[in-house]
Amino acid sequence: MDGSRIRTLGRRPAIDVLSREDLERVHSATLDVLETTGLEVGSARVLGLLAEAGAKIDPAARRVRFPGHMVEAAVEAAPRDFLLAARDPAADVIVDGSRGYLSLDGCAAEVVDLDTGARRPPTRDDLRKATILADATPEVAYLWPCVAVTDVPPEAQASYQTLIQLVHSSKHVSAMATYSERDARIAVEMATVVAGSAEALRARPIVSTFQCSLSPLMYDEGPIEAALAFAEAGLPCGFVAMAIGTAGAPTTLAGHLVSLNAELLGGITILETLVPGAPTYYGPYEAFMDLMSGGIGLAWGPEDVLFKLAAAQLARRYDLPMNIIAFGTGAKTQDWQAGAQHALSLMGVLASGDVDLVSATGTIYGSRVFAFENVLLDAELWDIAARILEGFPVSEDLLAVDVIEAVGPAGHFLDQDHTLAHMRERWRARFFGSESWEAWEAAGRPEPKDRARDRAREIVATHEPLPLPEDVERELHAIAARTTGG
Amino acid sequence: MEELLATLRDSLIGSRRDAALAVTARLLEEGAPPETILQEGLAAAMIELGARWTRGEVYLPEVVAAATLFERCNDLLEPALLSSGVERTGGRVVLATVKGDLHDLGKNMVGAMLKTVGFEVHDIGKNAPVDTIVAAVGEVRPEILGLSALLTTTVPEQRRVIEALAEAGLRDSVKVMVGGAPVTETWAAEIGADGFAPDAPRAVQVALAITGR
Repeated sequence: MDGSRIRTLGRRPAIDVLSREDLERVHSATLDVLETTGLEVGSARVLGLLAEAGAKIDPAARRVRFPGHMVEAAVEAAPRDFLLAARDPAADVIVDGSRGYLSLDGCAAEVVDLDTGARRPPTRDDLRKATILADATPEVAYLWPCVAVTDVPPEAQASYQTLIQLVHSSKHVSAMATYSERDARIAVEMATVVAGSAEALRARPIVSTFQCSLSPLMYDEGPIEAALAFAEAGLPCGFVAMAIGTAGAPTTLAGHLVSLNAELLGGITILETLVPGAPTYYGPYEAFMDLMSGGIGLAWGPEDVLFKLAAAQLARRYDLPMNIIAFGTGAKTQDWQAGAQHALSLMGVLASGDVDLVSATGTIYGSRVFAFENVLLDAELWDIAARILEGFPVSEDLLAVDVIEAVGPAGHFLDQDHTLAHMRERWRARFFGSESWEAWEAAGRPEPKDRARDRAREIVATHEPLPLPEDVERELHAIAARTTGG
Repeated sequence: MEELLATLRDSLIGSRRDAALAVTARLLEEGAPPETILQEGLAAAMIELGARWTRGEVYLPEVVAAATLFERCNDLLEPALLSSGVERTGGRVVLATVKGDLHDLGKNMVGAMLKTVGFEVHDIGKNAPVDTIVAAVGEVRPEILGLSALLTTTVPEQRRVIEALAEAGLRDSVKVMVGGAPVTETWAAEIGADGFAPDAPRAVQVALAITGR
């Protein structure tokens, strides 16, 4: 911990799980799908614009089919580097392949109450607390609205979430739960108020979004029109596909990859064709149906890591910024299962090369339930990962030959100046337990999650995010209030 | 005939499409009563498959594939069932994905599986406005209304439908079941739904239970 606002992952090695030939087969199969099957797009306006741009449109079926050259040109048009600016420039997310940034998770349908531990529908106050926690946690670089707030009408959900994110943190805000053009325009309006002007916002986009396909192979009207509204305002808009293997995508990894790749390239093609050069990213979020229950995102296994690494290979092939997913678990609490699955998926991220954005921390139970303590437990894993990537230095002093000579055989190093000078460079756990069995018993057998929950409560009670000017905050409230009541 | 019924059950359980359809046709040709083919062949196979699923021996896609095949075999029986004048024993169900939501995979799975236990399923599709759903309930007079929603922004529509049913004086005539990823037992209770299930096979169990079967 060096006092930085955000803690990032440095350069990561890339492990290829697909041979060069197989990678090309996945790519050309994807182009086949986009040209033969195409995508269903729910917006007549977008279909009309795509027809003018040379895509093949079947208006009755709302289907668009893309010739391969159109997809290749769109991928080419997407910039490799861009900025996800933060209100506090020290928390800027610089997307250029050199660093990996972690986000808070998004729009969980339930929350584990920070005080009572009960699972219940989330409120604005939960989002406020979680945003404060993320603002204070360096490992969380930028914010999603981590719970779907249920104490405002559904049509005001997106605007209140963006409001809370902007007010209670100075980190970059992803308005990822913005599902319509109207909500996108409201998010842009709020961001403009905070930035000061449309030009200032364009130069430093403090808000971005991503939009999701509906698997298999669909973009609904609201999300695709929202994507264009963000892009036209100069705000980055990623594409994310959460195709669920066996349900919304083929059950085989190769087929799952093709179907999900087609959705992402299709979305990026729509965006780059209509708003050339718009900052975007490639977000393959693998999910798998539980074969017994049909549950979504609850089954986690080696396929998760294999899929990640293969998808990262595709992103590298396209030279697109990539948003990878980690920290998925079917666990219902912060137990061995959650810890193992989170750690192993993070190891997958560590082997995935120049991945820019890593999603997402804070949820359990297939991303459906947000739990505050999870953010801090994941942060500890992230800190370990970042530390591993930093490696360790070697120098005359650090090799410590003189000290080894001074201590000699059968001595000890505890009281050496060298030890006192360097021991604080050693990593120290915040939540993992390393006490004796007796001390553990005496303390009432605490688990890492208990320490993390205590710390989360403390942070939420004491951390003060960089405030917005009062008039700006008032204006944001006025904009949000406008969205209630239909 | 016993042997052919056994083959039909095996074909359905194994999702062997051609064999199941051929055996159904053959049973009809040989004069087997259509309700026997339905009960001792198709329905019995689905009960067996459900039991195997409960024991963890088969995967959900095998159950869904068999349910789809059940429907195709049942289509072959339909004319004979109608002319034999046998009364349907299952109740009627109306299914919908609520307004604003295009996710209908879960609803479709539930629909396919409800048919296999004898329910007559009226699926009014996805993105269904409250009025359309209430009108369908008024028209079809189902025992069960199933409402699906996958988005946190569309889940509140389930409450609106229940309120609209009450205003239309239809609430007491129908049991309402809700489902979808953000839907929980607590939510179901809060909006006054009669049933909730986290997955399709359990939805069938709940449907049977709340209609007293």
